[in-house]
Amino acid sequence: MPRSIWNGTITFGQVNVPIKLYSATESKTVHFNELHAKDKARIEHRRFCSKENKEVPYEEVVKGYEVSGGKYVVLEKEEVAAADPSGGKVVELEHFVHASEIDPVFYDHTYYVGAQDGGEDAYRLLLGALRRSERVGIGRFVFHNKEQLVALRALDGHLGLHTVRFADELVSGRDLDIPKPQKQPAKREVDMAGRLVDTLASVFDPAKYEDTYRKSVQKLIKQKAAGKEPEPPKEPSDGKPPDDLMAALEASLDA
Amino acid sequence: MPKSSRGIWNGSLSFGLVNVPVSLVSSVRDLGVHFTQIHEKDGAPIDTRRFCSKEDKEVPYEQIVAGYELKKGKWVTLTDEDFEAVEPRKTRTIDIEAFVPAEQVDPIYFDHPYFLVPAGGEGGARAYRLLVRVMKDSDRLALGRFVLRTKEYLAAVHVRDDALALTTMLFHDEVRPTKGIEKAGGKTHAPSKKAVDNAVALIEELTTDWKPSRYKDRHRERLLDIIDRKRKGRTIEAPEPQEEPEPVPDLMAALEESLASARKKSRSNGRSRSRGGGGKKKSRAKAKS
Repeated sequence: MPRSIWNGTITFGQVNVPIKLYSATESKTVHFNELHAKDKARIEHRRFCSKENKEVPYEEVVKGYEVSGGKYVVLEKEEVAAADPSGGKVVELEHFVHASEIDPVFYDHTYYVGAQDGGEDAYRLLLGALRRSERVGIGRFVFHNKEQLVALRALDGHLGLHTVRFADELVSGRDLDIPKPQKQPAKREVDMAGRLVDTLASVFDPAKYEDTYRKSVQKLIKQKAAGKEPEPPKEPSDGKPPDDLMAALEASLDA
Repeated sequence: MPKSSRGIWNGSLSFGLVNVPVSLVSSVRDLGVHFTQIHEKDGAPIDTRRFCSKEDKEVPYEQIVAGYELKKGKWVTLTDEDFEAVEPRKTRTIDIEAFVPAEQVDPIYFDHPYFLVPAGGEGGARAYRLLVRVMKDSDRLALGRFVLRTKEYLAAVHVRDDALALTTMLFHDEVRPTKGIEKAGGKTHAPSKKAVDNAVALIEELTTDWKPSRYKDRHRERLLDIIDRKRKGRTIEAPEPQEEPEPVPDLMAALEESLASARKKSRSNGRSRSRGGGGKKKSRAKAKS
């Protein structure tokens, strides 16, 4: 059984939906620890005062915000906590928007929403109404000591919640320095590239894409554990842009 | 501004036999308020130093390797060269494997958004422009895989703001199944048609255009304000605690009341003014930043 990471209430209008949150994702990356190469002993991170050159116990560490070179404003834990409303565990939906209007670039983390005991009717009602109206609820809640903007939507037969990035956090393509070619691609090249796209057209089947790097790392760990040295890698091709774009496109279509 | 020279990954996007040299730059700015650890006594910043737990001595960074614990106390160590040798092609190349309809990819798979910036002179810029042209009007995502630092990502390449954008994605086994999460299935909790009608009507009353700039990061603003007040020597008060609402005993009554109050509010406010263009109007808001 999955374990919930947060319990609270979604509100919209005067309707309250008691819910639980679950992580929807998990990293499967192989994790390593830092070791001292010489004796394979674990590395410890220790805190030192940069002035006294002495180790500092955790209780003597406070949070500082650098206001100018080397000058810090120190905040107590309670003062940092004062940045967010405390107590009530509420996701207050402020608006609803058409699901198709939100570019997924705004979505950050994803969580699954489960119904709490006694909240089943309200949960089903909200899920049914979001589905039928094809809307997404936009709201805020305090999570991990930080007020988050969130989007609530129907997801795989459940309610799903995304934390949402703020508009000023996103870089626009217009802010980038993208070099323009002196010569634009010719119509024939665009047509050929379009045909190449068509030959690679497929349906999205997530299970088709395996993390082969993860598997190779696991294999390498086994080899090294058995005392075998890994084979030296084959040098990959250099990835130069084509001198003749048209010839490269033609060769790709023939391949 | 992000510049191509500041790419966090440099390599090439490979489309058939066409290589497009690119740099990867994040499309998310870190605007978070960051704190430094400070020694309370003397206000000096804290340094983190790495120590060998056996020798009790400080260890320079070059002498640190990655260790994988096979079983308690038995370690296999991997060096940077070992990691580089694992998948050399994928550390430098994003091979486009397929083009799939964008609507088939649920946003749950998306991890972090980036832009790709061309890096290979005139030839690279032309090949890049060709891909932008071809993908611009297509509602397909180009899928490929590559290794960033020491992790492989599935990635979706598409066009945003007339540039190639890349979004790293999770692998299928990194998205958890929904099994075991209470969704109040079955007939017992099925809402009546009238209840759903009312809930949809309420949602429509509360519907507005998606205008991301309307939402400010209040956490960031308040934290910066607290820092400012503290600097000026003022006291910081704890915020008012919020109350947690009780579940409503009568769902239908709560819906009807909410609907009546939402309608009254939108009539008295003149919704086009307060809701930024009217709730029912369907317009396509493009992601602006």
